[in-house]
Amino acid sequence: MFQPNIPIPAADPMPLPGPLWLLKTLLLVVFFLHVLFMNCTLAGGLTAVFNAIRGRSERHPLSRRLSADLGRALPVFVAFTVTLGVAALLFVQVLYGNLLYTSSILVGVYWFSVILLVILGYYGYYYFSAHSGEKATIESIIVLSLAVICFLAIGFIFTNNMSLMWSPQKWLAMYRARPSGAHLNLGDLSVVPRYIHTIVGAFGVFTAALAHYGTLRFKKDREYGSWLVRRASVVFAGTTVLQFLIGMWFLMSLPRNVALIFFRDGVGVTVFGVALLATLAATILLLIGGTAKEPSPLIHAGFGMVLITVALMVVMRDMVRTAYLQPYFQLSRLQVFPQTGIIIVFLLTFVGGLATLVWMLRKVAQARSHQAATAK
Amino acid sequence: MNFPVWQLGFPGGLLIAIVAVTHVFVSHFAVGGGAFLVLTELRAYSKNDDALLGYVRRHSKFFALLTLVYGAISGVGIWFTIGLVAPEATSSLIHTFVWAWAIEWVFFFVEITSAIIYASQWDRLDRRTHMAIGWIYFVAAWMSLFVINGIITYQLTPGRWLTTHNIWDGLFNPTYWPSLFLRTAMSVLLAGVFGLLTATREPDDVRQRVNRWAGQWMVLGTLLIPIFTWWYYSRFPDFSRTLLNGSLPAAQHPIRMGILSAALILLIGVSCAIWKPRAMSKPLVVLLVFFAFSLMASGEYLREFVRKPWVINGYIYANGLRVADVAQYQQAGFTRELKFTSTDDLSSAQYGHDLFISQCSACHTVDGYRSMRKRVVGWDSAFAKEMLAHIHVLRGTMPQFAGNEQDRAALGKYLASLNPPVNYAAISDRAVAGKHSFDNRCGHCHTINGNFRPLKTAFAGGGTDQVQAILPVLDAMSPNMPPFTGTPEEAQLLSEYIASTANAPTASARGGR
Repeated sequence: MFQPNIPIPAADPMPLPGPLWLLKTLLLVVFFLHVLFMNCTLAGGLTAVFNAIRGRSERHPLSRRLSADLGRALPVFVAFTVTLGVAALLFVQVLYGNLLYTSSILVGVYWFSVILLVILGYYGYYYFSAHSGEKATIESIIVLSLAVICFLAIGFIFTNNMSLMWSPQKWLAMYRARPSGAHLNLGDLSVVPRYIHTIVGAFGVFTAALAHYGTLRFKKDREYGSWLVRRASVVFAGTTVLQFLIGMWFLMSLPRNVALIFFRDGVGVTVFGVALLATLAATILLLIGGTAKEPSPLIHAGFGMVLITVALMVVMRDMVRTAYLQPYFQLSRLQVFPQTGIIIVFLLTFVGGLATLVWMLRKVAQARSHQAATAK
Repeated sequence: MNFPVWQLGFPGGLLIAIVAVTHVFVSHFAVGGGAFLVLTELRAYSKNDDALLGYVRRHSKFFALLTLVYGAISGVGIWFTIGLVAPEATSSLIHTFVWAWAIEWVFFFVEITSAIIYASQWDRLDRRTHMAIGWIYFVAAWMSLFVINGIITYQLTPGRWLTTHNIWDGLFNPTYWPSLFLRTAMSVLLAGVFGLLTATREPDDVRQRVNRWAGQWMVLGTLLIPIFTWWYYSRFPDFSRTLLNGSLPAAQHPIRMGILSAALILLIGVSCAIWKPRAMSKPLVVLLVFFAFSLMASGEYLREFVRKPWVINGYIYANGLRVADVAQYQQAGFTRELKFTSTDDLSSAQYGHDLFISQCSACHTVDGYRSMRKRVVGWDSAFAKEMLAHIHVLRGTMPQFAGNEQDRAALGKYLASLNPPVNYAAISDRAVAGKHSFDNRCGHCHTINGNFRPLKTAFAGGGTDQVQAILPVLDAMSPNMPPFTGTPEEAQLLSEYIASTANAPTASARGGR
């Protein structure tokens, strides 16, 4: 594990406080959920900007409605992106802390600015939410656009840091050049395609979710629902074609030994193959379902396929990280000493918390349907 | 050091302080404010007071905007900041408490969701359900404090954890309960302060009712704080109490600021919120917010201050070095640990600078905050090298230097390079020159007639010769004394100064810093 010429901070002398499989599973699960909400925050924001501008014209009342709906939803998306991101950050620190802290220090100025950017972006979304009623004002669109830029910048900083985290061979030279933390990892050829891959992917996930939402809305509001489904499905299909090209670019930008795990390693080939098939299935299902006279249940199946794709992409991302780090750092070599008692308390708290969440959301849903019924 | 150091030009601790103090100010409001919301809502229903209900609805929007955005994100900001500034300690805390944090995360998730629902579903949910969700919010928020409080207090009083490494010993440590009660009282106080703040936008009649109600919260919290502070203080380790009791003057300012702030909050609360609610004007409310912030900041500063030189008492020093590793570094050198260096020449002043960055920069800058240049005036490299062997006994707030003789020589060389040599002969007044020499060489650990390790008892009645005689054998007299490395002329000036000050007839001649 030790590379004499490459300084890598040693892992914490304390053993891992839980089984590796449990910590890794929790990391991947919360990261998967984080990605879903992050995609909605990012692509939802851009979609809101487009529809808010378009909706200023009287000729596009449906765009106006969508931008208002998104205005209400965006702060909630941010809340859950952050909350789930915190959990992912917790587990990534316990597993890869010695690597993450080092790369974060090297990009410290940008990394610290993430907090300010989230606060600005979050308040920007709230501002738009409060001013996106009938017709979005010019000011609110400008604020929304700035908020989206904040979130796009955050994504870029994360891409830089996370890719630097698994490139320890660069660290010492970067530190000696500038110890103030004013670095990015742009020397890495995979950073740009990776970032574009993330943004385009966000559109894919968000439009699939929007088509799914449109299908649900269709029951109560046929015109708005079918408009949403049609538009979202077409954008999804276009995004997927684009994503295929960007994905190829991204794959080719990876070091050969890393890219080859998806062509030679049994697990890698399977995960990659199933992810491609799931994407293809999602595109076909959403296109057929979305261009039909009425939105069909195929949309839900297509959305399900998108969720499977995202889950597999999260696994692939983890495989890429493991492959990059193979010469320097292997989790399997860390000592483990599970804190069994508190793990049980955590699991019980988790179940209790989940039950509380379900109860609260059910109450809101019940109240909403009761209110809708009363309004009729 | 295991990790590279983020070189900002000022100690990263200041950045942590800015993020952390503003966060705790909002997050404590998030706890107490939750109870304030539900109880005010209940009060409005029980009194059929629609105007009060209107107030609490508006207050809930303000509450959500402040706590969900700034409160929540600045909390994440603390993680980002401590990971950048103190990665070693952060890693240790994460490895010790990852499951406690995971539990706290569940409460955080419930807290965020319930706050969004509470603030946005006034028109949709029936009263009973709406209030139930408010209570869920409050319980989740307080439970979040319940868990985090264990991690914060562990840093000062890890207690039995140091020997057992058992997470429960770490969480429920000796200062856990007093700190929990103290923070709860602070939450109640802040609930009242922010209640008053949003009331300033209400019509006169509602404002007066809210002022009286919120004022009671504020006064109750303020009255409880001294009681729990005393309980908390009684559980402090001895070294922390020594620091507070005057061995470092820097602690006295926040103590005075905290007491004054609490007294003013109490005075304004009783007189202008409860007794004469009409008198609670906007400027007064702004002042109250300021005093509450000042109280919170003083408390947090002191909590950090009394832990010196530790980040985790008895385990990790403020510069991120584990106490268990220091002996090994002193014997074998720090080179193996210091992975991110700017040079490979281990005897150079440049390497000394690397050592300064890794071991000193957590608390010191060269020219700004706790300036090192000012502290090492008159130090030659030999003297600096010897001082480094004793820095942990200066005033009890410094960790041991973790390095061998070669490391001390390199850092000594760097420290000596920060100032030109002092030409004592060029100072016309011999007493002034002697005082300079005393301040530079002896004043870090001694006074002459003062309270801190006074030399008067040793030299009263003696003369210059007596002082002169012991200067060449200082290091033989005590293992904690560096040898005198100055010129014979400086020795003469220093001896004259010490002898004359120790024998000065009045107490006004208090030598040394």
